Amino acid sequence: MDLLTFSFHNIFALLQQMSVFLVIAYLFTKSPFFSSFHIHTLHRRQLIVLYIVFSVFSILGTYFGLPIKDAIANTRAIGAVLAGVIGGPLLGGSVGLTAGIHRYFLGGFTAYSCALSTTVEGLIGGFVHIYLIRRYQQHRLLSPMVAFLTTFVAEIVQMLIILLLSKPFGEAYALVQIIALPMILANSTGAAIFVSIIRDQRKMYDKLSVTFSAKALKMAEKTFSILARGFNEESAREVATVIQEETSVGAVAITDKDKVLAFVGAGNDHHLVGHRITSSQTLRAIREDRTVYADGGEHKWRCSLSDTCPLGSVLSVPLRVDNELIGTINLFEPKNKLFLVTNKTLGEGITQLLSDQILYSRYTTQKNLLTKAELKLVQAQINPHFLFNALNTIIAITRKDGDRARDLLLHLSNFFRKNLKRTGNTSTLEEELNHIQSYLLIEKARFEDRLQLEMDIDPALLPLQLPLFTLQPIVENAIKHGISNMLDQGIIRLSAVREPGCVRISVEDNAGSFAERDQKGLGMKIVEKRIKNLCGDSHGLKISCTPGERTVISITIPENGCREK
Amino acid sequence: MIRALIVDDEIHAREEMAALLSDIEDISVIGSCGNSIEALKLINKLRPQVLFLDIQMPVINGFELLNMVNQDIMPHVVFVTAFDQYSLKAFEEKTLDYLLKPVDSERLAKTIDKLRQAIGEKRPAKYTTEEILRIPCLLGNRVRLIGLAEVEFVSSTATGVHVTTMDGDYFTEITLKILEKRTKLLRCHKQYLINIDCLKEIVLLEGGMARIITRTGKTIPVSRRYLKLIRKTLLI
Repeated sequence: MDLLTFSFHNIFALLQQMSVFLVIAYLFTKSPFFSSFHIHTLHRRQLIVLYIVFSVFSILGTYFGLPIKDAIANTRAIGAVLAGVIGGPLLGGSVGLTAGIHRYFLGGFTAYSCALSTTVEGLIGGFVHIYLIRRYQQHRLLSPMVAFLTTFVAEIVQMLIILLLSKPFGEAYALVQIIALPMILANSTGAAIFVSIIRDQRKMYDKLSVTFSAKALKMAEKTFSILARGFNEESAREVATVIQEETSVGAVAITDKDKVLAFVGAGNDHHLVGHRITSSQTLRAIREDRTVYADGGEHKWRCSLSDTCPLGSVLSVPLRVDNELIGTINLFEPKNKLFLVTNKTLGEGITQLLSDQILYSRYTTQKNLLTKAELKLVQAQINPHFLFNALNTIIAITRKDGDRARDLLLHLSNFFRKNLKRTGNTSTLEEELNHIQSYLLIEKARFEDRLQLEMDIDPALLPLQLPLFTLQPIVENAIKHGISNMLDQGIIRLSAVREPGCVRISVEDNAGSFAERDQKGLGMKIVEKRIKNLCGDSHGLKISCTPGERTVISITIPENGCREK
Repeated sequence: MIRALIVDDEIHAREEMAALLSDIEDISVIGSCGNSIEALKLINKLRPQVLFLDIQMPVINGFELLNMVNQDIMPHVVFVTAFDQYSLKAFEEKTLDYLLKPVDSERLAKTIDKLRQAIGEKRPAKYTTEEILRIPCLLGNRVRLIGLAEVEFVSSTATGVHVTTMDGDYFTEITLKILEKRTKLLRCHKQYLINIDCLKEIVLLEGGMARIITRTGKTIPVSRRYLKLIRKTLLI
């Protein structure tokens, strides 16, 4: 009875000490090391840190112990067992051995047995670790129940070792009678609580990073469509609004290198768009090309424009695009509010994101310009040969048939006018045909009997939209590289027919000389690219050539035509 | 009078050139044609003193045509083109002149001055010529370009120059002399050129003559005069 009372007393005493222990554990989970620590991927450096931390825990457990009969009732086991469970037998064994050796030098009749048993306990934890890993139960490494049971078993083993190795046995037996229950229960409970602290902290970090990522992604999504239109006052204002909404900071300002492009939030009555930058932090961020942070504590942000400005802290991040500084993003918090570290990280992250988006939008703009330039190229490509030959033909005809020459001149001017005036991305098949009609009439006059034209167009297809300047380059190619190289009569056949799922427009010539030119010319390439751009990748341009007999260039477009983009 | 031949594949261009030339007193247009094969025929037949030659023409272009003309009847050449994509300045020394379409009559007058001078000085028209790689042949109304590798031999008869290939005989306007000079075909007889790659056997006869049997079993005579050369080429 007396013995039992003493045991209960001991349990509470041990639990009390364990609380100190748990406070340390809690502090550990708040350390920066912990946030970078993932139980599934422990690096050597992290293992060393864990070794030190758990060894310290284990040794502290010895010091916080209660001296009983020349022995120590203690919580040393927690550190060793958890080191084993979390880091494996090597870590557990090392921590157990370290704490065991320490215990050994404290002396007493259980010195040797305790030293050994602590090492064994670390190894037991390690074996549980291996067991769980092999059974693909990694997630249970941080389970309080596993920690409890492992420590429970380890402590029983410890008691057995004390009984077996400590001399004299009588004293050892008496000691175990007193300490067994309190030590087994206290250590097991302590280990379980320790693990649950680690786990909860882990969960909190995960949850935080999830909300953090979600916030960043949401901002990215919102700003993307805004910056696609370019980086200017208007888009800057919208981006600043998004950032302020998502981060809930007091105010957000976006500047270029010398003036404010946007200011959203508190203080917008005196921080005006278009004004020169006055904030010394922002100026420094630009000058030194680095992030400047005034947290509102030691470093205060002082508004240079108004004494009543509510803002007190700032984060100024330089906005770089393609290694060139183009401005800054500034996040402000009012004087009465703390600048959250998460907002600092978010601010820096979002700046990087914006710089990527601006770069992308520049790239897109340039790509569009390129497409436009290519279109111009197609328009311009027709020029020299066609023009001079046409003029020469017309001059010759003037001598014989003034009316016909006049007609041809009108066609020529009509063709060039249409060429120059056509805008947009698509036009109807009818417009395309009208455009090449003038062209073909002039070529017909040039070649006279050597060129014959045939048309087979389904009138129902005339209103269909197709990319601008699709037919002209193909027809021109057929004449320039096909018909004009023939001694016999050349025939050009234009057809447009409906096929299952698409509309096929073909330009056929009877020269069959395409094979001699090993690749598509620039004009053809651009035509194909534009069809794919506007009608989708499944459409395009196909060439089939029977040498000496015929070349068929056929393009397909969707059955309802292309959409204007 | 200076005899001129107009070669251009576009009828209106030919007519325009003829009209411009008709205003010049000492020029007489003796013919015009629309492709190089006809042009070669006309050059051989009419011996013009000057060619107004379009460059871009079907099958054989203006440059190629010049390779096929006998040097001793080579006329002066004036290139006429719509667009100077060949950088004709580079040819300035080789040709008499070049004109851009539409042709300006004042510019043409300068060309004619040059022409008069060249003819007055009896300066021969000289062109550095290149190897002929394809022989244009007439087959009825069609033109076939025969690659040199296809040719077994070329023979000259009373009816003209014939190119014999595995799949038949073709008629060409190019003379044996030109083909001997500008292709790798070898002269083996006054009337024959042989493609040495198609030679299967050579039978030596009495009197220093020989007979060549080609891959397809045709027999060609080798005269005493050329046997030496053939043996040297074959290293026998």
